[in-house]
Amino acid sequence: MTIPPESELNDATGCEEYRALSRRQFVGGAGTAFAAAALYPAWLPKVVLASTYVSTRDVMVSVFQRGGADGMSVCVPFGDPNYYTLRPTIAVPRPDATTTATRGIALDNFFAFPQAMAGLVPAYLNADLLVMHAVGQTNNSRSHFDAQRYMEVGKPSDPSLVTGWLGRHLASAPPLNAAAPLRGIGISAGLQKTLVGGPKTLPISSPQNFSIGGSSTTQAARVAALQSDYSAADEPLKSSALDAVNTLNLLKSVNFTGYVPANGAVYPNSSFGNALKAVAVLIKADIGLEAAQVDVGGWDTHSAQDPVAGSMAVTMRDFANALGAFHADVIAPALIGVTLISMSEFGRNAKENGSAGTDHGRASAMLAIGKGIAGGRVVTNGWPGLAAANLENGQDLKVTLDYRDVLAEIVQKRLGNTNLGYIFPTWTPTFRGVTR
Amino acid sequence: MHTSGDGASRRGFLLGALAGLAAAPRAAKAQAVGIWHPPPPKKLPTPRASVPRDPNGVSPAAQFPSRLVNESVAALPAWVNNNARLVRRITMGVSATEMMRVSVLGYQEYLSKQLHPSTIDDSAVDAVVAARWPLLSATNDVLFASNSSGTVQSQLQEATLYRAAFSERQLFERMVEFWSDHFNISIGKVGYLKVADDRDVIRANALGRFRDLLQATAKSPAMLAYLDQTQSRKGAPNQNYARELMELHTLGVDNGYTQTDVAELSRLLTGWTTTGTGTFMFNNTLHDTAQKTIMGQNFPADTFGGQAEGERFIDYLAAHPNTATFISTKLLRWLLQAEPTTAQITAVSRVFRATQGDIKLVVRAILNESWLAAAPAKFKRPFHFMVSALRATSAQVTSATTLNGQLGGIGQPLFVYETPDGYPDKVEYWSGNILPRWSFAVSLTNSNSTTTVKVDTAPYLTGTADAAVDRIINEFYGGEVSASLRTNLLTYIKGGTFNDLRVRETMSLALGAQAFQWY
Repeated sequence: MTIPPESELNDATGCEEYRALSRRQFVGGAGTAFAAAALYPAWLPKVVLASTYVSTRDVMVSVFQRGGADGMSVCVPFGDPNYYTLRPTIAVPRPDATTTATRGIALDNFFAFPQAMAGLVPAYLNADLLVMHAVGQTNNSRSHFDAQRYMEVGKPSDPSLVTGWLGRHLASAPPLNAAAPLRGIGISAGLQKTLVGGPKTLPISSPQNFSIGGSSTTQAARVAALQSDYSAADEPLKSSALDAVNTLNLLKSVNFTGYVPANGAVYPNSSFGNALKAVAVLIKADIGLEAAQVDVGGWDTHSAQDPVAGSMAVTMRDFANALGAFHADVIAPALIGVTLISMSEFGRNAKENGSAGTDHGRASAMLAIGKGIAGGRVVTNGWPGLAAANLENGQDLKVTLDYRDVLAEIVQKRLGNTNLGYIFPTWTPTFRGVTR
Repeated sequence: MHTSGDGASRRGFLLGALAGLAAAPRAAKAQAVGIWHPPPPKKLPTPRASVPRDPNGVSPAAQFPSRLVNESVAALPAWVNNNARLVRRITMGVSATEMMRVSVLGYQEYLSKQLHPSTIDDSAVDAVVAARWPLLSATNDVLFASNSSGTVQSQLQEATLYRAAFSERQLFERMVEFWSDHFNISIGKVGYLKVADDRDVIRANALGRFRDLLQATAKSPAMLAYLDQTQSRKGAPNQNYARELMELHTLGVDNGYTQTDVAELSRLLTGWTTTGTGTFMFNNTLHDTAQKTIMGQNFPADTFGGQAEGERFIDYLAAHPNTATFISTKLLRWLLQAEPTTAQITAVSRVFRATQGDIKLVVRAILNESWLAAAPAKFKRPFHFMVSALRATSAQVTSATTLNGQLGGIGQPLFVYETPDGYPDKVEYWSGNILPRWSFAVSLTNSNSTTTVKVDTAPYLTGTADAAVDRIINEFYGGEVSASLRTNLLTYIKGGTFNDLRVRETMSLALGAQAFQWY
């Protein structure tokens, strides 16, 4: 695959009638004015660590849309007429359609969000949200599990690599706070591949309920007995247990229930919304957290996916509203540097299937949100086009931008880690201007 | 707003930290100081540190800790009794009763008995299940009419938990767990249809023939709904089931088929659908009758052969050597060790092929005594951990509702895993989630309710603190623990007044201890 250099990246070509119109005329609601909030508000009664760090590095929040998200529904290429040919029953109407309730929200003269993604429009207007399209990996597996695995480890087609790209970032960067017991967190019952290999990294499905229980009189003695028991264990159990003990003491001090998001942000009361909210609390609690992995499901839309009113609309609304709340709450106030990225293992067939859904395909769309992200744009590395001749195997949107280029630039420029050869083995990244 | 700082100073900072990291690779150090376990005899995965280029010329990757993850540990040194190893492997947890049985019957006889569950009387558990969770025996018509998917789901989950803990047919329950993951179906997508799948497909064939199990799953309305086969039709095939049938159910990923084969198989299977409240049917009007070629197998254009040609290809998959290898390897991982040797895979695959996938005989081959004697311990998944804790403590479960909720809390709610690969069986996936186990151990050992869950401490309180610890070790560990764990438990129990609470807390430590996380 040849990928042109950064200078050739464009904001996508568009059809003539839209070229004259500016982005902002199209986008519906006005951008929200974001106010800065105090860093240590009342909901955090105890500052847990004696020292607070001064960071020149962003906290990384990595979101994985599990199931293979249909990038063409997340960010609709309405400027490509083949989109409407290929998707007779599940297309999002053009932004200039008369049906205001269902038509797309133009992001530029070629791409639009469906109404279900409206929660991210303020972040886009604030130029904090960058949408990248026709992104994916060189591995062309259409297996969810293989594709997720290789994407998460950061190297295609090498089954022997067991650590994840974000885990290797943590392993190759000094801690932001040397005393921090929890550098990485996976909001999950089991550690996601992305984070495997990260020191002081735990899966915690519900940080607000992290406790051992039982008599408070004997709790310290019981924890000490377990700590002693695990001190002789093999890895990875030993580190997990010791990190858990330290994290237990840490999280006890954080008042999750009293948390009030900044800017009046409201997280959806869903598993994804609650997970992002918990990450927001942990970031603002200034405990030295450097990386969080959050998963969101519901993207395997083989049938009845209708991005306007069907199952995918539900999935996207929850997704965008949660990300929108996180943006308003954590990113817009810009008090702590945070970069959020969201990606999926593959996109879906360009043509809809017989069940008003789409089967496994190739390229999808990827999001990056942050004050250090050159947002407010939809970028492609040359829109590959949806004409039959331009589709991979005659059926799929081609991958024209390797997701590792995006991650590598963020890792170096936002996370301050230049060890890209270790984090993305055998890949020589090209920076695409995704950061400011 | 934080911007990238001065490159030179950052580089200095990084290099300083890296030098420290490189000096003490975490995994290697831990093994060197390990008290309970010697370094694993098996070979660690080869580090993959080949790095062609670092854009800034900073340190080569070889300096970084790779912290490669152990899939397993050496069998705990305290575990020397082969009979006890067998009990750990083929039950959902040791108990004093089970240890007595194996010592009477011996290794082979105990295994044979467990391989033939119909020879084991399980009427007591059957009666409890029938009385408490009546929807499990209901027809799809009744389940459809009951219109309460939440109740159906919790009945299936609670009954499964109860059977795993208390059925005398323990190996059978282990195999049900295996196949439930192998042929994973999320009840969130298919609702009550999973009840019949669990009863008539998984449980009916868990120790039968693989071919029969595979054919049964292919006609299971739950499976067909879960993987969108019910949406597939002529001219608009849906590839979801066709792909997983080859990738996950039989051959293994990219192991002998191509994307074209997936597309062709999806055409072959058009017409395989359901009718009514959940009955398999082949609907010829939905079937693509044109010619297909799948993995070199030719299926000429037909008129009415759609079901037969599907069955024929599923038989072909069941008999394929790659299937024999894939299923044998997965079963070896489940029952023997996380990283089976090539020789083991070859030997078991041969049995699989020679017996046309007779699961009993394959399992027997895997559990040969010399292999098991040398096998490293495996890490319990949360479900296994919870059930083994119930067995260790002889918990009396009058209602499994709370336990079922707690199973979600420790990370493995049953039948709701969304993707078709089923819950992972990897230590690296589960090992970070240790605190919820401790928390459950505390909750369980403090349970003393005759209407929900009761752990009876009376037998532990009749003698001395020493005797109580001995009893814990016998009941929870089959008598085999390290000296340090015994000391740890004795220290704790004697650190306060010897009473009911102290015993319960000591039990919670025995369940939370690292040795209890392995089997």
